[in-house]
Amino acid sequence: MMTMLRKLTPYLFVAPLMIFIALFTYIPILASINLSFREWNFLTPDMPFVGFRNYEQLLASRDLWNSLWVTTLFAVLSVPLRLGLALLIANYLVRESMHVRLLRGALFLPSVTSTVSIAVVFSWVFSTDYGMVNALLGTFGLGKVQWLQNPHLALWVLIFVNTWKQIGYDIVIYIAGLQAIPRELYDAAAVDGGKRLHVFRRITMPLVMPTTYFLLVISVIEAFQVFTIVNVMTKGGPAGATDMLVNLLYEIGFVLFDIGRGSALAVLLFILLVGLAILKSRIIGRKVHYEA
Amino acid sequence: MKPENPILAGLALVAGLLFLSPVLYSIWMSFQTVDAYYAGELGFTLDNYARAVGQYNFARYLLNSLIVSGLVTLIGITFATMAAYAFARYSFRGGNFLFAATVATLMIPSHISLIPNYLTLAKVGLLDSYAGLILPAISNGFAAFFLRQYIRGIPKVLDEAAYMDGATSLQVLWRIIVPLSRPAIASMALYIFITEWNNYIWPLVAVGKQDLYTLQIGLARLYRINPGEGLIDWPLVMAASTITILPVLLGFLLVERHLVRGITMGAVK
Repeated sequence: MMTMLRKLTPYLFVAPLMIFIALFTYIPILASINLSFREWNFLTPDMPFVGFRNYEQLLASRDLWNSLWVTTLFAVLSVPLRLGLALLIANYLVRESMHVRLLRGALFLPSVTSTVSIAVVFSWVFSTDYGMVNALLGTFGLGKVQWLQNPHLALWVLIFVNTWKQIGYDIVIYIAGLQAIPRELYDAAAVDGGKRLHVFRRITMPLVMPTTYFLLVISVIEAFQVFTIVNVMTKGGPAGATDMLVNLLYEIGFVLFDIGRGSALAVLLFILLVGLAILKSRIIGRKVHYEA
Repeated sequence: MKPENPILAGLALVAGLLFLSPVLYSIWMSFQTVDAYYAGELGFTLDNYARAVGQYNFARYLLNSLIVSGLVTLIGITFATMAAYAFARYSFRGGNFLFAATVATLMIPSHISLIPNYLTLAKVGLLDSYAGLILPAISNGFAAFFLRQYIRGIPKVLDEAAYMDGATSLQVLWRIIVPLSRPAIASMALYIFITEWNNYIWPLVAVGKQDLYTLQIGLARLYRINPGEGLIDWPLVMAASTITILPVLLGFLLVERHLVRGITMGAVK
């Protein structure tokens, strides 16, 4: 009896977590795949099997390709911007002093703040008639810009807001990465009379490569799942210019109640992100190994 | 630490304030009357807060957010710690597989479970309830993974000594592992709380009853029901926004260092 219990102990400890992970993460993946082959709108009593029709409809729709394009654009533009800026700022903020600590705190604050609040505040900042940005432009004698109503500008506003919110996190992670670089390397470079830029490119950048890789992975995954700022600030508009993938998923699933097509989109998003993650670990994983 | 350069310190302060100026300005705006704000005059009023709390139900939303985030944190950290302990200290059949399944959740986009979770909770009648908000958020693979790494760093001889004295595994967890992992548990609890506090898409789909809105939903709705630009009652919206930010802001000021340490511990190892 005692040995039975002892053998069971670890299972009892992991059971609660595993049950919830199974119920709300893994079973839903299977359920999504199943639903993606069916037609259902919450109301009809049965959900007939329709084969690949939902996927065909999705892939034939302009909405999907627009969303893929917009989301990719968002990721490709915002991730390098975030990481590049973050590394430069972290490189300065890595030293220890009171004012550096204050600045670090200020930069980090938005990353733990409510995204809805930030989206609302920046909706005001970029609003046409009373916003902060246009007021600022006005003092230079420039005219009002319709930031969130202009299809060419709205995505840039979202990129700006997302960068503003997330950069503090990137900076904090980069600082930790920079602190792990042995001081002797910098001292040796100083003896050799290395120029600042040169030291940055030859020592700092390669040696924080593992950190960059980590941030790259999570920020790309994040970028492909951006929803809150879209939902609050633009609802995907104007004219689909900010209609990112999760926003489209929300619209199809919870506004149009097209469960089959929504699930098909969820499955595509899943394949895309897991594929990206695998691809990156193949390509960059090797490189990190070489240089670190 | 080098002595402070006052010019640099001043510049840093200005840069920090400038960076945060939209939020700082929104807080300031929340104390203005609408008329004064649109007329560009200065004033001071608490009326926006009174309206947000009274007429617009934000006291209730605050309570809901506290209940939901509090319970998610409490249950989530308990389950994560228990699992982490087993993963760190026991080798058992299927243990590696279960641990891999836990870590893999970090790579799985959470939105794939949105529709199925909605349907599941609808089926058992838990939409529009606290349970419906809480249950899907309880399992936290990252916290379990992080705590497992941390617990592995605690010398095993401590466990063994306790077992010699006749302790049970539950006592070892509670008396030795938990006290020694306190910083890690605290930063993970904070991480779970903040994530749940700011959660948006799930309460957006899972809750229709106004009495169950969390702050995030209440704020988004308040902003969206405003008829159109120009007519928006910005001071009222900003008061609601400030109520939404404030609890996390205060927590942040109290525990910034723990939070930063927790986040970096997770990333750089």
